[in-house]
Amino acid sequence: MSEDRHEPQRDELAAYLLDALEPGETAQLERHLAGCEACRTELEWMRPAVQVLPESVQQVEPSAHLRERLMEQVRSGVGEQRAGWNLRRPGGGLSLRPLAALAAVVLVLAAVVGYAIGGGSDESSVKGGMTTALAGNPPGVTAKMVSNGHSGVLYLKNIPHLPPEKLLQTWVERDDQIVSAGVLFIPAPNGTATATINDMRGVEAVMVTAEPFPDGSTHPTSHPIASVSIS
Amino acid sequence: MRASKAERLADEELMPLIGEKNPDAFEVFYDRHGGVAFSLAYRILGERGAAEDVTQEAFISIWRSGARYDAARGSVRTWMLGIVRNRAIDALRSKSGKAPKLDFDDDSILESRSAPERTESEALERETAQEVRGALGELPGEQSKVITLAYFGGFSHSEIAGMLDVPLGTVKGRMRLGLEKIRRELAEGLT
Repeated sequence: MSEDRHEPQRDELAAYLLDALEPGETAQLERHLAGCEACRTELEWMRPAVQVLPESVQQVEPSAHLRERLMEQVRSGVGEQRAGWNLRRPGGGLSLRPLAALAAVVLVLAAVVGYAIGGGSDESSVKGGMTTALAGNPPGVTAKMVSNGHSGVLYLKNIPHLPPEKLLQTWVERDDQIVSAGVLFIPAPNGTATATINDMRGVEAVMVTAEPFPDGSTHPTSHPIASVSIS
Repeated sequence: MRASKAERLADEELMPLIGEKNPDAFEVFYDRHGGVAFSLAYRILGERGAAEDVTQEAFISIWRSGARYDAARGSVRTWMLGIVRNRAIDALRSKSGKAPKLDFDDDSILESRSAPERTESEALERETAQEVRGALGELPGEQSKVITLAYFGGFSHSEIAGMLDVPLGTVKGRMRLGLEKIRRELAEGLT
């Protein structure tokens, strides 16, 4: 798409606003938008038509129980914990951070392990513990470690349903010793999660296990659901 | 802060308090927007239980990341509904076995826009639910169908083209025509 003056790509913009473009098309259009004022203007003109769509749905009252449950979580602090944010740091000095906190990134490696938490389905990985493979082969858990200087972010996808009495805990391996990375988290409902490990120096592998909620463990008590070897 | 004081604050004023983990501010925020959030999730998922789960996760997400709200990105309500929609679509795709389309940082995909546009959009949001329903109802069926499939169904234009057995360009053209019609009606409603 040319960035010279042109008629706005209205059809593309409409599909973009409706989140209906394919990922590659979205990226291409966003690159174009960065340099095309005509399309940006058209996009912003059209945007309210999409923004009001959720307002058009028939209003249905949620149950009072939802409010109670939500406020109970919030007031007890569990909401923050279950969301994987500002968690306790049993290892000290480590925390989860928003993904956006990372700037430049260097891709290191990806690994896949299909161990099932709470009655999952991947028999082979239950036996084997860790199976190194490339990411992107659902239904197994996929993991990607992205490093940035001395820190790193672990991205997980396709995490099986986690029982309420469990959370996920990250571990790092240095000099053949496995220690907690101090990061406890609960995956999002769509089975994804991110965890920041502040100090990746000397780390040979990063692992994730299911541990008791809410405090985690001092040592791994289950097979890893994911393991990433650091090259 | 007492809840009664929080009730007098605008959404944009509540957000910094939520960012500071003020439960009273959060409670007021939920009371204002929980209904529309749940309604949207229910519209997408069609099940009360699943809709409540998504609504709960979305609000917990806001509770933990309230400080991430950027006024330059639009109204709080628009931001919140974007989070709910993304999570509901993601849940829908997971349930149906389709590969999730959203990336990890799904809460931040809303695009930025300038303050004047925000003001207009806020007015649109609050005043025009009925107008939108009317506008959608008046759209030719082929236009409302593609918009509904995309926005409330989470389908891509190529998936919709396959479902309706029409060319991709036709799907995008219908989306554009439908949105332009809604947009014009909204603009007329404000004057």
